[in-house]
Amino acid sequence: MKTADLISALAADTAPVKPVRVTTRLAAACLAGALATGVVLTAWLGLRPLGEAVQTSAFWMKAGYTLALALAGFLLVSRLARPGGRPGRVLTIVLLAVAVMAGLSAIELMRAGPGAMRPLMMGQSASVCSLRILALSIPAYFGAIFVLRRLAPTRLALTGAAAGLLAGGVGASVYGLYCGETAATFVVIWYTLGITASTALGALIGSRLLRW
Amino acid sequence: MVAGLDGDGAAHGQLLAALGGYLRAHFRRKLGAGSADVEDLVQETLIAIHVKRAVYDRAQPFTPWAYAIARYKLLDHYRRTGARRQVPLDEVGDLFAEENPEEGAVRRDVDKLLSRLPARQQRLMRDVKLAGFSMEEAAERSGMSVSAAKVSVHRGMKRLESEVGDEDR
Repeated sequence: MKTADLISALAADTAPVKPVRVTTRLAAACLAGALATGVVLTAWLGLRPLGEAVQTSAFWMKAGYTLALALAGFLLVSRLARPGGRPGRVLTIVLLAVAVMAGLSAIELMRAGPGAMRPLMMGQSASVCSLRILALSIPAYFGAIFVLRRLAPTRLALTGAAAGLLAGGVGASVYGLYCGETAATFVVIWYTLGITASTALGALIGSRLLRW
Repeated sequence: MVAGLDGDGAAHGQLLAALGGYLRAHFRRKLGAGSADVEDLVQETLIAIHVKRAVYDRAQPFTPWAYAIARYKLLDHYRRTGARRQVPLDEVGDLFAEENPEEGAVRRDVDKLLSRLPARQQRLMRDVKLAGFSMEEAAERSGMSVSAAKVSVHRGMKRLESEVGDEDR
């Protein structure tokens, strides 16, 4: 086909289009992903007694950390969803969240003294925590991919990583409704590991799934 | 572009035709003039720009948007043919580079940006960065020592970078 013919064919097909609202679509996908994850969690592990949990600072510390990472992922995905999108300064949110959490953990470890380090690090569920978070990140990840496939990301691995970060943050936030670990040290190690795994896998899978 | 988004077929056709010219020159430079893939890539990119036009954010400049799609299609082509992997990110200006007679828009942007610098520094930067003189030649033309010229060019680039950066935000 001649390029000139192609152009006239395309020009003939110019129905007015509404600009897409990236953040609205992505927020809807996240919400749906979070709800699905909540259902999975309830059926799989159950919830912990939330009435007591919400009165503890540990609950909000964990929720704040994981939601901050989810928010960073959300902003990254919505920037990268369009051609030429760049991560910009959103990455500072990630660094800041991890730094604050690491700081809290350092204070906790210093107060506890050398003998009590191990329980703070390992808690009751160190061997399963990261893997569970990774598993719970799956619904939100595919929600984000579903939205992104209708948009036009041009840096696929990076966009996939951002979707993985978003999904890891959502998955970990939902997991916080079950997980009774209260130590900042535990969270900064095992939660971060789970979300990092989700980000890395997201990049790996995303660079294939997002092609257009 | 915006007229095309609102359904103006004639304006959209003009845009695509103009883009076709830019893209052809761009892909020729990347793949070599004789390559049979050039026209395929031009068409693929035009189709992508057309199909994805709803994803264009009207508040953003159009050139980087179109360039990003062109770059993506080129990378996609390399991936399929397995030929070359790396395309530098910082070639936004390249799509509308010198050999194309219709490169007015970007040239104007560069002039506008340079005009914010003092006259002497401006001339120095034109000589070194655009006209292709060596640092020594450019320093002589401006009557400066080589090290002073280096410092001046370096500071000029810094300043332009920071001004462009500010506009990006």
